[in-house]
Amino acid sequence: MGPFLRDNVVFREVYCWLGGSESNAGLCGGADGLLPAGFEWAAYFAAGFAIILILVNGALLGAAAFVWAERRLLARFQSRRGPNRWGPWGVLQPIADLLKLLIKEDIIPHAADRVAFTLVPIIMLMALLLSLAVLPFAKSAYLVNLNIGVLYIVAVSSITTIAIFMAGWSSANKYAMFGAMRGVAMLISYEIPLVLSLVGVVLIAGSMSLVSVVEAQTIPFIIVQPLGALIFMLGISAELNRTPFDILEAESEIIAGYHTEYSGIKFALIQAAEMAGVLAASGFLATLFLGGWSGPFLSGQLGALWFLAKLGFFVFLFIWIRATFPRLRIDQIMAFAWKFLLPLALINIAVTAVQVYFFGFYQAEVPGEITRGELLIMAAINIPLALVSIAAFGRVTREKIRVPAPRFEGLAPIPRTAEVD
Amino acid sequence: MYGFGLAKGLMVTLKNFINPPFTTQYPEERLPQHPRFRGEEFAWYEERCTGCASCAKYCPLGIIKIVTSPSETAILEGDKYNIDVFDIDIGRCMFCGLCVEACPYDALFMGSGFERGRYQREELVIGVDELREAVKRPSSWFRPQLEEAQYDPHTGEPLAWEEVGREQWPWHQGEKAGARIDWRPRRGGGEPPEDGA
Amino acid sequence: MLFQDVIFWLLAAVGVAAALGVVLLRDIFRAALLLVVVFLTIAGHFFLLAAEFVGVVQVLIYAGAISILIIFALMLTQNVQQGNLPNRLQIPAVMISVLLLTVLAAVFMDTDWRLLSDLPGPLGAGLVDVAFRDTTFSLAKLLLESYALAFAAAAVLLLASIIGALSLVRER
Repeated sequence: MGPFLRDNVVFREVYCWLGGSESNAGLCGGADGLLPAGFEWAAYFAAGFAIILILVNGALLGAAAFVWAERRLLARFQSRRGPNRWGPWGVLQPIADLLKLLIKEDIIPHAADRVAFTLVPIIMLMALLLSLAVLPFAKSAYLVNLNIGVLYIVAVSSITTIAIFMAGWSSANKYAMFGAMRGVAMLISYEIPLVLSLVGVVLIAGSMSLVSVVEAQTIPFIIVQPLGALIFMLGISAELNRTPFDILEAESEIIAGYHTEYSGIKFALIQAAEMAGVLAASGFLATLFLGGWSGPFLSGQLGALWFLAKLGFFVFLFIWIRATFPRLRIDQIMAFAWKFLLPLALINIAVTAVQVYFFGFYQAEVPGEITRGELLIMAAINIPLALVSIAAFGRVTREKIRVPAPRFEGLAPIPRTAEVD
Repeated sequence: MYGFGLAKGLMVTLKNFINPPFTTQYPEERLPQHPRFRGEEFAWYEERCTGCASCAKYCPLGIIKIVTSPSETAILEGDKYNIDVFDIDIGRCMFCGLCVEACPYDALFMGSGFERGRYQREELVIGVDELREAVKRPSSWFRPQLEEAQYDPHTGEPLAWEEVGREQWPWHQGEKAGARIDWRPRRGGGEPPEDGA
Repeated sequence: MLFQDVIFWLLAAVGVAAALGVVLLRDIFRAALLLVVVFLTIAGHFFLLAAEFVGVVQVLIYAGAISILIIFALMLTQNVQQGNLPNRLQIPAVMISVLLLTVLAAVFMDTDWRLLSDLPGPLGAGLVDVAFRDTTFSLAKLLLESYALAFAAAAVLLLASIIGALSLVRER
């Protein structure tokens, strides 16, 4: 048995319920399971599939719920009501949408590269589900406690970029190609501040494992790392192709961007991956910057409620941002990433590294240990620093609109030749 | 301060979020409509129609088709033509209402309903049977008698042909009788000539 | 360790097949995609060797960024649809490949392939303990202590390339 699954609550329960015996008494306490001894491998697989079932279905149902929430909330932000016909408050609307997409014709363009075209939805959903593996939903309710969890998230979500490029190229459609080209240019640029913004969190927590990051947050890191949280939030909303940065599917410019040619169940899978991606991103934000499943009360397995509440907060924030801001131009997006986010991320890293060195190693009795009071001092330094540096770099990168000097000599007055009665 | 505009935008949407929505839930709730609203229906009173086809002649799009046949009743007993076909193709209608203006006997009114969407273009043709059977809530457009009676087609009862009245503008009566139009209403008032009617 | 053997052979077979596809396929876009598969299988090998940091970095940088740059370059080439045109550089290519193969073979022959735990004395067991518990830590120690000069040189190289790029795109 792998070392990772041993910690997982669901895995342990299902495994011991089915295949508990003397041989695994260390894990199950010696109670006999349903299966006879010698069938522990069957219990192992059953428990693994139980986790996969929960995770995959949870992600897809969460995507459906998010579709509903996004449509309702967007409507409310625009003084509308949103879907309210199917079920109470329209909660069955995503199911109706899904049924519609399921019975639609699944079209593959004649000139398309069939293999790559078909692989795209699978890869997109796969990357998303893979990234969920490291997310701690509650105390010891995670699939893997990778000790490089933070990096793993970024690495896995970067696979989406290739999927988008494959979609653009294999569709044999110029709008899909446009969307993919500008999307990929943007995604590569935003990956850099995204990774750099996480370095501060990793430095303070002293570990890249998401579980350790949660445990290190005696006060939420959003206070200690305001710049990091801001950059991560903006960067990940660019990675998710959400509205201020949705140039790769800008519907008013290039039809639907990279998924122009997709229909039916393939389109549904792409949408599901995008929507569940927002949920996953909110989960990462909640875990990295708001303390994940830890809270003032309701600890342990019930911490999942905290996790859900924090996730809901970030989901609301994402929808709010989408409802408010118009789409940026590609040069504005690039300038924002390279001239604004990247320097801020570097400032954040430098300041945090000095602080961690001072509080964690130079001054501390236990090396690497940063107390709650020291975190508060760091917050008191970092919040004004964040405001000042945002103001400073905002002034530097403010778009200079050069209006050409008017070459206007004035119009001759219109001759009045006839009286109009 | 950089980002101040962004915060202001967020506050605008948040205000929308808190305020109640101003949309109307259409099939259940309806916005009040003006009584002169020209809908996708026509109120036609066969009792008044002589089959003169003025409406068809005045229609700019030529979408009204009228076929009549002589009836067997004696003229003195109130004979008029049978209306065999009265087709209005509202798929091409632009709701200008010139047919209603043209009707010399006030037999045709604009309707007030607007829910006559169909899946086929052919079904958009209103036939004579549909016109006969329709619930008649005439719009008060170009029918001042309905306006004077304060009739609202959206709340009021359906009107029979005796109830809708005749138009009473004197100068218009003269026009209808075929008289030469030598007086038209001008801004600032003035009475119509006596010999109009 | 049957399970790990199965995974290893699976990864190896897929990796070799994909690498052959990269070389042999006429469709240059599919070749680039297969290159991504090769990168991912190499990352899988790193994971099998318990070098998860290197594996993740392999995914992040090679599969996520380098391959995108390669595909970008393909987009900017002419006649992509017609695939790999035969060119006049076959003989130099063969020579370079043979040279590279020789170097790799020499490294293979020269390496001491004993397992870490088989090393004599307490050093072996200690190395295994450190290296397999937290490769990130060991890697950081190697990079920032033993090979700090090479690390700094790489950083200077990157800085120089950034400045070069900036001077190329500077508005005049």
